[in-house]
Amino acid sequence: MTWLTWRQFRVQAAVVGGVVVLLAIFLLVSGLHVLDLYHSCQAAGTCVSGQFNHTDRRLQVMLEVLLEVTPALIGIFWGAPLVARELESGTFRLGWTQSVTRRRWLAVKLGVVGLASVAVCGLLSLMVTWWFSPIDAVKQQIFSDFDVRGFTPLGYAVFAFTLGVTAGTLIRRTVPAMATTLVAFVTTRLAVVTWIRPHLLPAKHTVQAITLSNQDFGVSASSTGPIVSVGAPSIPNAWVYSATLVAKHGHASSTAFIHKACAALIKSLPGPNGVPGPPNQTAFQSCFNRIAANFNQAVTYQPASRYWPLQGMETALFVVLALLLAGVTFWWVRHRVS
Amino acid sequence: MIWLAWRQYRTQLLVVFGVLGAIAVALAVTGPHLLHLYDTTVANCAKLHDCNSVQSAFVKKDTLLQDLGVAMLVVPALIGMFLGAPLVARELETGSYKLAWTQSVSRTRWFVIKLVLVGLAAIIIAGLLSLMVTWWSSPFDRIASNTMSPSHFDRRDLVPMGYAAFAYALGVTAGTLIRRTLPAMAVTLVAFILARFGELFWLRPNFRTPLKLELPLQGVSGPGGIGIFLQGPGPNDWIISEETINRAGQDIGANGGFGGNGNIGINVANNGNLTLPNGQLCPNKVAPGLGQGIRSNASSSSMGRALQECLHKLDIRQVTTYQPTSRYWPFQIDETVFFVVLALLLCGFSAWWIRHRLA
Repeated sequence: MTWLTWRQFRVQAAVVGGVVVLLAIFLLVSGLHVLDLYHSCQAAGTCVSGQFNHTDRRLQVMLEVLLEVTPALIGIFWGAPLVARELESGTFRLGWTQSVTRRRWLAVKLGVVGLASVAVCGLLSLMVTWWFSPIDAVKQQIFSDFDVRGFTPLGYAVFAFTLGVTAGTLIRRTVPAMATTLVAFVTTRLAVVTWIRPHLLPAKHTVQAITLSNQDFGVSASSTGPIVSVGAPSIPNAWVYSATLVAKHGHASSTAFIHKACAALIKSLPGPNGVPGPPNQTAFQSCFNRIAANFNQAVTYQPASRYWPLQGMETALFVVLALLLAGVTFWWVRHRVS
Repeated sequence: MIWLAWRQYRTQLLVVFGVLGAIAVALAVTGPHLLHLYDTTVANCAKLHDCNSVQSAFVKKDTLLQDLGVAMLVVPALIGMFLGAPLVARELETGSYKLAWTQSVSRTRWFVIKLVLVGLAAIIIAGLLSLMVTWWSSPFDRIASNTMSPSHFDRRDLVPMGYAAFAYALGVTAGTLIRRTLPAMAVTLVAFILARFGELFWLRPNFRTPLKLELPLQGVSGPGGIGIFLQGPGPNDWIISEETINRAGQDIGANGGFGGNGNIGINVANNGNLTLPNGQLCPNKVAPGLGQGIRSNASSSSMGRALQECLHKLDIRQVTTYQPTSRYWPFQIDETVFFVVLALLLCGFSAWWIRHRLA
């Protein structure tokens, strides 16, 4: 049975395996170069958060897209046809009347191709996480790439694969099952990102003083008027849900206050069509000092230490969903597919 | 023949147009409200001195529907996979071509009618979706008005139709050559993604000769230390590359020069010598020992001045290569025409292959 599964699967496995190996070699060479750059800027103490924004920029974009779409592709091309093709072409009549029971048949197929899916996504995630490690180390924003690093791609792959198998079993036709798999996968992913992930662990709250050294504080001219922004505090690697100014002594509106306190600075800004230049240093400093003297910042966030727990929880969530779907498929194949 | 093509595709087309209808309803319900909100809050925020919070509150509206922008990238690929690839491949795979091509309708005629009808549907799907998304997103686009950036340019107006036509033709061709549906779908997807990336990274920046802006590099002391102040040509232009050059015109560091994002890693020795990250020694010095307090506010302004003097004396300049935002419509048309021509070439090739190469 394992041999049959391998025979049916070997061309695809070989193609994908070959691509993964080629990519691994390429990423090894290119990743060592990035690592070199990182070591040299670290030795000089000059690493800054945007250090590698333009290093292999195209490769960075392509790798993130690759890891984002691979689980969906596994669901579409490996999951959906697994049972549907047999049902559609009628080969299930031969396949399921041999000495191997149809449950065993399904278990072996799910196991072999499912393991291959996990292996592909796991290797890709490992390679990409390693390649990005110097970049992530200087960027200090690990949560922004939560979906394309670490364990989560494995969870997505297991889920997408099982979803494809289930859709194929229920729909019994390959191409419609593929389309359904894609839609259901994207919907589930979006729903988890939007509604579930922010509530997996209770967020932390803190009220802290505004300081120049860890604040994104800036002024800019926009098409609708000057903007003075007190950005979120740079808590390294934290996932900041919200950051709002809270008054120390009961100043009502922070925006009205900022506009008054920073009038000189705003006046020094160019109009919408003016040539931008560096802001007036004195006005900049006094604007900041007055804001910092009167306001604190209330921050709601997930600290960096929650990164791996959250990765584990989200992966577990998708694995559990996959197991439920696998259960449905077994039951359906046993009782509903004649 | 037209009736046959309709019968074969009606389920898929009804499903797709049903989804489009649902999206249209969702956008029609929320869109006018957004426009009204924009006109009453964001449009006159300058008068109320409150642009910051008003804009950031506005861009958080309907975030799930804003994600439809990503769908604009995916839909052409899906059209190629699900409408294009099976068009011929399914007939070849199931053997139904033996019946279909031995009727009174010639196989070329059979192919052209199916190709044109389903292709028109594909372009209409992409066009309608683009029209809806472009209209609905217009208030957001006015805030983040960087129209030439790929995250806007690729998802609005004409280009999605060009991508859809190309992906569809690619799917048809792959299906004709490979003769099996699933492998053809996979090949279509990979080829489409590669073509899109290739065009975006290597062709589009050169559709028209890019403009260059050369300015002296400015050092400033800002919050948290000292930095380089990068000056773009205009806030909405598409910056293709930035280089930092020295007096001799040599490139001494791409994209903002010494560090990413306009930060500079200047090395301050204890004796007050300043060294730029490319190893060049500045002609001026700072007071010995100043480097230790580089992050404190007291020293950062004097450091900023020293840095500015150094950059000025060494005549270090930044060169920005960019495409101005005024080229938005010429670029939209160029890009759409480019992909439509590719699509026509692929269709012609498929027709020739079916006529001469398929048994």
